Amino acid sequence: MFLIKCPFCGERAETEFSYGGEAGINRPLDPDALSDVEWADYLFMRKNPRGAHKELWNHAQGCRRWFGVERDTVSYRISRSFELPAGDKGP
Amino acid sequence: MPDPILHSHGLEPFLSSISSATDCAEQPGIRIGIEPGLCHINLRGDPGSVEFIDAVNSVLQQDLPLAANTMTTGNNRIYWLGPNEWLIISSLEKDKDRVTNLRESVRGQHACVTDLSGGQLALRINGPHARDVLAKGCTLDFHPSVFHSGHCAQSGLAKTGVLIGLLDDGSEFEIVVRRSFVDYLAHWLQHAAEEFGVEFSVI
Ligand SMILES: [Zn+2]
Repeated sequence: MFLIKCPFCGERAETEFSYGGEAGINRPLDPDALSDVEWADYLFMRKNPRGAHKELWNHAQGCRRWFGVERDTVSYRISRSFELPAGDKGP
Repeated sequence: MPDPILHSHGLEPFLSSISSATDCAEQPGIRIGIEPGLCHINLRGDPGSVEFIDAVNSVLQQDLPLAANTMTTGNNRIYWLGPNEWLIISSLEKDKDRVTNLRESVRGQHACVTDLSGGQLALRINGPHARDVLAKGCTLDFHPSVFHSGHCAQSGLAKTGVLIGLLDDGSEFEIVVRRSFVDYLAHWLQHAAEEFGVEFSVI
């Protein structure tokens, strides 16, 4: 069983969670000011690294909070879970 | 205004469909009690605010559980749902104005009181095989050393979102489920518990 640690509830099975993609991608404050290329970059382009990856998870069947996880995309090992910075409540 | 749905449980067709099948002379391995007529309130607020805690405690006459995955019992059953969220279950009869009183007590604060009585149903599960049956459909660890009295968790049971708590003396679970899923969950429980013998009743 793949366990993910929710910063609020503790370790739970992966089936309680849903994935939210790469962490730290903020919606541009003024989308109208962006060129099509910049907008497409925000919307579609992701790092997709081989190795350490900061990503968002939602504890969907638990406390329903978004939080961050640092996971190795090769080994799946999770090095840490963290609360999102104040004001950033996930996607 | 009395709302008939709060005093029904929606499992009437299920119960009549199984009534003849559950006449067993032996002691059932698991007993499932259906609890209609309860008041379910979702409460959100800042546990770090003395004003909020004082206001809520004065209405409930009971402390909010502040530690993760814990519940308190007393006048109400109060479940920790998240760092700023609780579920308060009490008898509809005992305090008809609970929602209004709670709302009034936190007026002006960054807090929220939501009445979920019509949307959720609670089940009581006990018997020597209660933990075995729950473990069949849920990834939580139900070993008594882990899931002890006063412990609670939201999780999935047979893929349905549930809140599970272990009440006072550690022999009875309370399971809170959305009403639209309760018929499905009752069927699943009946099937999962068949090998141990199961008895349904309305509390
Ligand atoms: Zn959680």
